[in-house]
Amino acid sequence: MNKQEFLEKLKEGLAGLPQPDVDERVSFYGEMIDDKVEDGLSEQEAISEIGTVESVISGVLSDIPLGALVKKKIKTKRKLYAWEIVLIILGAPVWLPLLIAAAAVIFSLYVSLWAVIVSLWAASFAVGITGVALIVPAAIHFSKQNILSAVAVIGMAICAVGVSLFMIFGCAMASKGVLLLTKKVTVGIKKMLVRKEKSDEKVD
Amino acid sequence: MDIQLKRGLLDVCVLAAIRSCDSYGYKIIKDMKPYIELSESTLYTILKRLEAANMLTVRTAEHDGRLRKYYHITEGGIRRIADFKEDWKEILSIYRFVTREDDDNE
Repeated sequence: MNKQEFLEKLKEGLAGLPQPDVDERVSFYGEMIDDKVEDGLSEQEAISEIGTVESVISGVLSDIPLGALVKKKIKTKRKLYAWEIVLIILGAPVWLPLLIAAAAVIFSLYVSLWAVIVSLWAASFAVGITGVALIVPAAIHFSKQNILSAVAVIGMAICAVGVSLFMIFGCAMASKGVLLLTKKVTVGIKKMLVRKEKSDEKVD
Repeated sequence: MDIQLKRGLLDVCVLAAIRSCDSYGYKIIKDMKPYIELSESTLYTILKRLEAANMLTVRTAEHDGRLRKYYHITEGGIRRIADFKEDWKEILSIYRFVTREDDDNE
């Protein structure tokens, strides 16, 4: 990919943002490539140092709050005709519950995902606490001279603590995974917003 | 380095890179490279933020038949660096507190 192609693709990917913002970013990356070339790199090397267009676009979008993108999208739409407003109001009993239901479904899916994570954490800690708590029966067995039973209980306790530590590592990884997924989905939604707007402009 | 900590340092590093003379994007990254890594998109965000906070100004000048943006530090930017130095004294004393026992053990 040469500089021109890189900048064109970047422009396309950011098309949903305000035009001056897009131009400024594109010229920023253009200048960056020129300066790298002047410093002795080939155009290819300069571009590969910056990264893929996709990664640059993802980076830009993750910096911009989702709210700002949605607001911008709503703002750039043309004014509604009177009959459209009437239709929207009359149709409210139909589309409003559907919209709320859809939002609720998405929200509940997300919440249940976290619920799984929370319950995994709880289970890990419960096993760990059980392990620690087993000290009490072990002590009782010990005081009653039931050495074999005491040793068996202590063995179980150690196993429980070990399993719990193992589970906690798993939980930490699962939590990180869900966080990463959240970020990816957010960037995905932003990309959808930006892209959709681009197709709107083409229709106009 | 911790991401949060790095984020706070980068603003001051960019200001330091343009303190002695005006500089441009590529040179800022290059000057900072031995000390702290910075991607192009991060630099863009930082420059925008610093410009909005009146810590630097931007001018476009011709270079070799093309345009290049130069960044100039303002009074506000210089003050930001001074504040950072003050903060750092405090952080150093906290660092000494944190590592106090390490020194005793050695």
